[in-house]
Amino acid sequence: MIMIANLPPGLVMILGALVLPFVARRLQAYGVLALSVISLALFLITPAGEHGNITLFGMTLNMVRIDSLSRIFGIVFHIAAIVSSIYALHVRDPRQHIAALVYAGGAIGACCAGDLITLFVFWELTALSSVFLIWASDSERSYRSGMRYLIIQVASGVLLLSGAIIHYVQSGSLTFASFVVEGEPLGLAATLILLALGIKCAFPLLHNWLQDSYPEATATGTVFLSAFTTKLAVYSLIRGFAGLDLLIPIGCAMTLFPIVFAVIENDLRRVLAYSLNNQLGFMVVGVGIGTELAINGTVAHAFCHIIYKSLLFMSMGAVLYRVGTTKATELGGLHKSMPWTTLFCIIGAGAISGFPLLSGFISKSMIISAAAEQHQFWVWIVLLIASAGVMEHSGIKIPFFAFFAHDSGKRVEEAPWNMLTAMAIAAFFCVGLGIAYPLLYRMLPYAVDYHPYTVTHVVTQMQLLLFALLAFVVLMKSGLYPAEQRSTNLDTDWIYRRLLPACIRGLRTVYDVVNDAFRSDMVVIVHGIMDFTRATFNENGILGRTWSSSTMTLWATLLLAVCLLLYYL
Amino acid sequence: MNASKHKSKRVTDPPSWFEQPRNINAMIAGLVIVCGLLVVADLFYTNPHPHFDLETSFGFQAWFGFVSFVVIVFLGRILRMIVGRKEDYYDR
Repeated sequence: MIMIANLPPGLVMILGALVLPFVARRLQAYGVLALSVISLALFLITPAGEHGNITLFGMTLNMVRIDSLSRIFGIVFHIAAIVSSIYALHVRDPRQHIAALVYAGGAIGACCAGDLITLFVFWELTALSSVFLIWASDSERSYRSGMRYLIIQVASGVLLLSGAIIHYVQSGSLTFASFVVEGEPLGLAATLILLALGIKCAFPLLHNWLQDSYPEATATGTVFLSAFTTKLAVYSLIRGFAGLDLLIPIGCAMTLFPIVFAVIENDLRRVLAYSLNNQLGFMVVGVGIGTELAINGTVAHAFCHIIYKSLLFMSMGAVLYRVGTTKATELGGLHKSMPWTTLFCIIGAGAISGFPLLSGFISKSMIISAAAEQHQFWVWIVLLIASAGVMEHSGIKIPFFAFFAHDSGKRVEEAPWNMLTAMAIAAFFCVGLGIAYPLLYRMLPYAVDYHPYTVTHVVTQMQLLLFALLAFVVLMKSGLYPAEQRSTNLDTDWIYRRLLPACIRGLRTVYDVVNDAFRSDMVVIVHGIMDFTRATFNENGILGRTWSSSTMTLWATLLLAVCLLLYYL
Repeated sequence: MNASKHKSKRVTDPPSWFEQPRNINAMIAGLVIVCGLLVVADLFYTNPHPHFDLETSFGFQAWFGFVSFVVIVFLGRILRMIVGRKEDYYDR
């Protein structure tokens, strides 16, 4: 028992992944599921507290820290791993199974890391393993996208490690605790770590790896991806930067700009990636506000979000698996051939939009209420706008354009049984958390005194959502809703995919011109200098030839005379 | 866009419940009625813990939701003009 507590949670999954290649191919998927379940059981019996303290090169590391915050993230990460592995039961690709196990195990280990070095190790492990879920699509596109993803993720790890080292040098401690000191600006170490988290959490301008890579992963891989990396960053933000005011405007920006991009995006999995970005914004605002209600709301929202976002990615994954594309322009009318997928997708869409009786309603509202209680009027307004935006891209656009809209004429089979089972479990959680919310509230870091189902709250939320739906109907009927278009929409990745390469090409051209124009002239000049030097310093040159003793004596006498004069002056 | 390719198949396929104009109109009518009722509901309760004046104004979240949605969609149309490129933009 004590030994188990000293091993990082998730280690069973990581070590199990090493055994997986030696298991028969058709059993590998079940191995992933079994290891996830075993890991959950072990995690649940691991007592709270700090375990696994080791001393390495004079530093004390705390590999396992289980408190109310790491417990709830550990639980939801396990749930995500189990549901996603059921969803991937039909996959016969060892790469994906191994990558998914290491990735999930790494994320679980990271959220239970008590020190920054252990966090860094698991942090990099998630980055290195998850990229294989993108590469497993086996296309040129996914290879390039995965490369960009890997570079950015590793950059985040490097920043985290740099911050950790500076923090250790300055404070002598590696404990991962809050970096926020009331009334003081962040130090260098804290800034670097915040930047590392900001990349993983897809802060504005650091966000585009998410929309770039997630839609390129395999149908099952994206489901895993959607659950772990970004929520690990949210966990770390809560742990390290709760109450940092700077996070409020950052979060507000994150809730707003992705919704506009989502309106015009054609690839529905990319729409979901923008939507994920927008949901992270709510959480970042919650961390920034930092009150007990806000932190509870952030944790609850992360919990619910992991499940409903998985559900939405699963429904789009099923569409991708059966139809071969998730482009809105090529879908439509799928409710006839995929009725169950349609139903589960609608439940996920309702949950993310925050309809009463579904999970988003009981979690998002805590963050919005926390903003209101702090009298942050503009934050409150922004979050309301963002809620209407969520209704637009995830509540309406995803289910409507995939399953209804104009019939694409595509007739496919319903999703495989395992995909449907996974979606059904996730949908059950969405409804369950919406109704039996006290079960979730009991697990939150602080005692909860919050009642989501008040008349005011239900009525106002329904007004917001249904009038947004009404606006959609009006815009559709009047033809003002922008038609789906096959397009690539530029985002910040344009900077490193087009602008920087263009700049480098420009610099090369300038270099070539300069090189061509001046090199021959420079060679002539250098030759001239060489000739002159040679002539001056060779045995016949003025400075190189042998002088007679009488001349030398004359010069030495003159020098002494000058020195004597200077001495008396 | 692949409609023409599958046209023959669609003729034999009767429109589903969700595709019949009668049902679509009924759903829209239902939505309008529910929206109306939700606004009227504002008359029958008071917000026990209002934080802002705006919160308690009549039908606030109703018109706010409607306007936000429309503004977001129109911002999207503007954004498309700025950032929209051909689908193979990065492949060229």
